[in-house]
Amino acid sequence: MNVLPSAGVSRPPVRSRRPWWQGAVPYLYLSPALLTIALMQVFPVGYTIYVAFTNYNLNNFANPRFIGLENFREIITGRLLREMAPAFGWTITFAVLGTLLAFSVGLVLAVLLSNPFLREGAIYRGILILPWALPGTVAILAWSGLLNDGYGQINGLLTRLFGPEAAVPWLTNPTMAKVSVLLVNTWLGFPFMMSLCLGALQSIPPELYEAAEIDGASSWKQFWHITLPILTSFSLPLLISTFSYNFNNFGAVFLLTGGGPPVPGRTYAGATDLLISVAYKLTQQYFQWGLGAATSIILFFIVGTLSLLQFKLSGTFREVR
Amino acid sequence: MAAVTQAPYRVPVETRGRSRTRVVDRKPRPHEVVQLWITRLVLWVACAAVLLPLLFIVSASFTAGDAFFSGSLIPRPFTLSNYAKVLTETKYLTWLKNTVIVALITGTIQVINTSLSAYAFARLRFRLRRVGLIGLLLLQMFPTFLNLPALYLLFLKLDLIDSLVGIGLIMVTGNAFNIWVMKGFIDGLPIELDEAAKVDGATDFQVFTRIILPLSAPMLAVQFLWAVVGVFNEYLLSSVLIQSPDKMIMGPGLQNFIVNQFSAHWTQFAAAAVLTSVPLVALWLYLQRYIVSGLAGALKG
Repeated sequence: MNVLPSAGVSRPPVRSRRPWWQGAVPYLYLSPALLTIALMQVFPVGYTIYVAFTNYNLNNFANPRFIGLENFREIITGRLLREMAPAFGWTITFAVLGTLLAFSVGLVLAVLLSNPFLREGAIYRGILILPWALPGTVAILAWSGLLNDGYGQINGLLTRLFGPEAAVPWLTNPTMAKVSVLLVNTWLGFPFMMSLCLGALQSIPPELYEAAEIDGASSWKQFWHITLPILTSFSLPLLISTFSYNFNNFGAVFLLTGGGPPVPGRTYAGATDLLISVAYKLTQQYFQWGLGAATSIILFFIVGTLSLLQFKLSGTFREVR
Repeated sequence: MAAVTQAPYRVPVETRGRSRTRVVDRKPRPHEVVQLWITRLVLWVACAAVLLPLLFIVSASFTAGDAFFSGSLIPRPFTLSNYAKVLTETKYLTWLKNTVIVALITGTIQVINTSLSAYAFARLRFRLRRVGLIGLLLLQMFPTFLNLPALYLLFLKLDLIDSLVGIGLIMVTGNAFNIWVMKGFIDGLPIELDEAAKVDGATDFQVFTRIILPLSAPMLAVQFLWAVVGVFNEYLLSSVLIQSPDKMIMGPGLQNFIVNQFSAHWTQFAAAAVLTSVPLVALWLYLQRYIVSGLAGALKG
């Protein structure tokens, strides 16, 4: 603590009686986390940057060469653009629609659940929260079976109800595969949004609604002019972080469609491949580590920009105390 | 309809820590009754959309492998053979064992890592504290899976491919998000407790072990659950870094059933999915209250 000169009273500076090593103690508490982070996160990031500037692939595994920005050039303007551009477009579409769909479904259900005359709401809430409780990987794999053209029970139900023409090529038609990915992502994602909206709804002062009611506002108007603006401003940072999560939501796509169905003329990117699953395939199936690492770095810049925007909006940096 | 309208309806409303109640102690007007029934209808449809796929899976798990799926919910013919086959003829139990071992070790180390760091950030004052907190946030922007190509090459050189130790090392890495959530939770504990203990001569470490840790038990349980579920959900890294079926963990293991496009495998997958999910869902529902409040706390910053 500094004594302000203007204070006039001269207080002797408090001499610390603690030994010198006491200052190091907090870092001891941090050391397990910091050590693992340094080993498994910071060091690999450095190595990713190195690999991204080399022609590391299966052919020159023994002696990769430094090739400067060649990988990035190939992705952004070169031979891979034909694959990356549509994958980028779909990544944006998926992240935007996936986030908005889950949020709107969650929001609507939360508003419905908070109807004061609905006495059995807790039962519905208990059921609706279930997809959140499931392990996501298992659930998405299960959906890939349910939507299977041959043995999937969704088509089984449809054909039983509406005849054999009602079967839908859920995962084999490029457009329907995208719809399926969004449907499953919404199914898995809305309970989280619903819970948060329920919490936010409870923080809206009831006086607002009472005043609106006195003024004769219908519940429809109350929703548009009170509930929605307050919930949206509360949820904006959350929506951005969900967006950047979905941007790299590998599992939601790869475990459902494997990135497919394949598109004629494209090697790496199928109809539903996100950039992250293209990067995965470059590593896992095509052994193009240099290109994969370069794609990772591009993804980092996109998601990093989004996160900074989110921190700014939610005032996280200011509030770090 | 009259019966529904007898009692006063109370909706608890929480505002700035104080609990308020929105009381609607009157009969719903006719248009509100209509609204209520529309609300019910939509909620029933939503509940059906959640439950139907789950029931399909449970039903498939009890259906004989060569049966034709008609979209019926009642398994005909009913059989337990899928469960028996999964447990005896597939590597399911090996994958489960691998996953549980990695998950328990990961959960334990994560909880120790996270609580120590969160305590330091929440209660101790040191020079690099702000830098550290912001550094964690920035680090979170580069998720581990983006390092997949580099990790694969590194693991190849270190001979960690096909090793559960390698996957374990990745999973126990200090998690910035968890540290932030935990710090938020500790921030909410009354500091007077710490001060009282220190007056009585307790050291920082004693405050941590005797006061902070016991009070944080529910949040520690949530963190443990997240780590365990994280291992059960892991696919991206483990599908590349582990290749032999004997070393696989649950995600890549279960995918084996699906990749083979036969209905016989589908019923076995369903059985394996039920076996895997039921304990995790039960644990999740048990801790649900703390998960929701912990996340809400984290979002407020």
